[in-house]
Amino acid sequence: MTTNRLPIGVLAGAAALLPVLLAVAAPLLAPADPTAGQLADRLLDPGSAGHLLGTDSQGRDLLSRLLWAARPSLTAGLLPVAVAGLAGALLGIAAGLGGRLTEQALLRTLDVLYAFPGVLLAIAVASLLTPGLGATVLALSVVLTPAVARVAFTETRRIRSAEYLEAARVSGATWPALVLRQVLPVVAPVVLVYATSLVGLAIVYAAGLSFLGLGVAPPTPEWGAMLDELRPAIFTHPWLAAAPALVILGVSVLFNTLGETLRAQVGNRAAPGVPPGEAEGAEPRGTEGTPPQERDAGHDSTTDRDPADGPRPVAPLPAPLVVRLPSRET
Amino acid sequence: MTGFLLRRLLLAVPTLLGVSAVVFATVALVPGDPVTAFLGPGAPAEARQALAERIGLDRPLPVRYLDWLGHALTGDLGTSTSTQRPVTALLLPALGETLTLTAAAFALVLAGGVLLGTLGALRPRGWWGRLCSAASTLAVSAPQYSVALLLIAVFAVHWQLLPAGGTHDAFGSGGGPGDLLRHLLLPATAAALVPLGLTARVHRAALSAVLDGDLADGLRARGLGRAAVLRHCAHNASPALLTIGGLQLAYLLEGVVFVETLFAWPGLGRLLYDALTARDLPLIQGGVLIVGAAFVGINLLVDAAHALIDPRVRG
Repeated sequence: MTTNRLPIGVLAGAAALLPVLLAVAAPLLAPADPTAGQLADRLLDPGSAGHLLGTDSQGRDLLSRLLWAARPSLTAGLLPVAVAGLAGALLGIAAGLGGRLTEQALLRTLDVLYAFPGVLLAIAVASLLTPGLGATVLALSVVLTPAVARVAFTETRRIRSAEYLEAARVSGATWPALVLRQVLPVVAPVVLVYATSLVGLAIVYAAGLSFLGLGVAPPTPEWGAMLDELRPAIFTHPWLAAAPALVILGVSVLFNTLGETLRAQVGNRAAPGVPPGEAEGAEPRGTEGTPPQERDAGHDSTTDRDPADGPRPVAPLPAPLVVRLPSRET
Repeated sequence: MTGFLLRRLLLAVPTLLGVSAVVFATVALVPGDPVTAFLGPGAPAEARQALAERIGLDRPLPVRYLDWLGHALTGDLGTSTSTQRPVTALLLPALGETLTLTAAAFALVLAGGVLLGTLGALRPRGWWGRLCSAASTLAVSAPQYSVALLLIAVFAVHWQLLPAGGTHDAFGSGGGPGDLLRHLLLPATAAALVPLGLTARVHRAALSAVLDGDLADGLRARGLGRAAVLRHCAHNASPALLTIGGLQLAYLLEGVVFVETLFAWPGLGRLLYDALTARDLPLIQGGVLIVGAAFVGINLLVDAAHALIDPRVRG
């Protein structure tokens, strides 16, 4: 079953690696200085001599800017996911292993954060800070952590009364040892897969924050900021203005495909993307009736359907906003 | 049923309180001292003290929060610093415009999502199924601002088919319903794409599960045609559609920040963008609060509708 799935995963991974490689190799690939422009050459259309993708309103080479912009843009997408992955995993495990009080405290806090549309929460946090890459990373980390914590929590709770955990406790394992050697190996892969599926979203959010002027400061090239800079040119040079939009769209598709492929490969257990909102915290609307992801598990094992088109409810993009995990209270 | 709704309503109260606390904190925690900002660094201590007392900064944070909450509950969200007008007076008309746009986008989400999801569920295998998956992945990955710019570039500038912004034409037939629809088409599409893709996925998953289940087998065994089987199965798949639909409605509210800014749509999103550019904190606060409250309200409505459709939920 996994044999015919592996190449797709590798392919998706390689495709998602492409923008990262381009970002790393930006100094080698960029034909011109991304911040120095010739005013005489401003707003050249794509295909102009010497400027493959044209120039912006200050005569700066667009291709070079797009390549260099990959660095802050991808950093602003990847770093918050890493931070949220770590913080969320720790919070989720703590809530899952801790007592009822810790659990309730965490779940209620998450509910409040869930009550915010993700972009708005990011805006609220970022508008408090000095605009820059740091503000974007911090704001997105805050937005993404609850979703990861919820995933880690569900996974921890699934195993918290497992016999091997009990055995470890009885044999005198300390808390750090218990977490590191028994819980983390179970929770980490699930969190990793889930976090991967958030990267596309984080990149889109990061560019969105820069577009709103809350990200990196000019003249540093950044995709969202470029979108804003080129916006006035849309009526005279529509294709120039569309270029950063297309780049963000493409990168988002690449990372989302990777996330979905990984989720499909690791299987339903790692795919907490029940239909968003299918269930929520402690008083779940998902406990009644079987969550669709479980209904799926049945017929998925009987068919050799391609994971990409399997009817599995995966919800990558606004996951932190809408994915509510089913909590099965006994 | 009434009991269920009451419980849900009560559960929304702490969430709303939390939302308001976060919103309040965003302003209370803002770096910089408003007194210094207002009076300048060299102001005498008595003047500083007087101003701090007048705007209430000398009181403890929880007291200020309760005070602010009390005003917010009576519709007083303070005065916008950039326009010197009451925040509520700015927010309410904008909310109306946003709801118009959201409603149009939501219609697209439901129609497109159900269509794409049903097509995918009917033919899950082969190139057709793959095409439907690819279409929903593309839709889900498409940031609103990218779609908005691409739509403007193609339909408004290149082909000049549709207006690039605003709610009505300044000249000629401006103001009629047809004119409004023409202006709605592009922004609504830009806002709808991501929720449409998600809705399609969830509907496809739910519908496939029902179509592969005993209900569908039983219907087919009784000799019902494909259309009749689909109709019955679609009914059983509808709770998932309802849940995702409701959440997407809430999600549309956040996408409008970008869409409204790019299409010059005079709604909440654009107001928020202007407030951000001017660092107008009371307006940012009010805008975020009203969207957060709408978010909670929509979730509540979805729960109620869910309970109406599916009696098991009421429990």
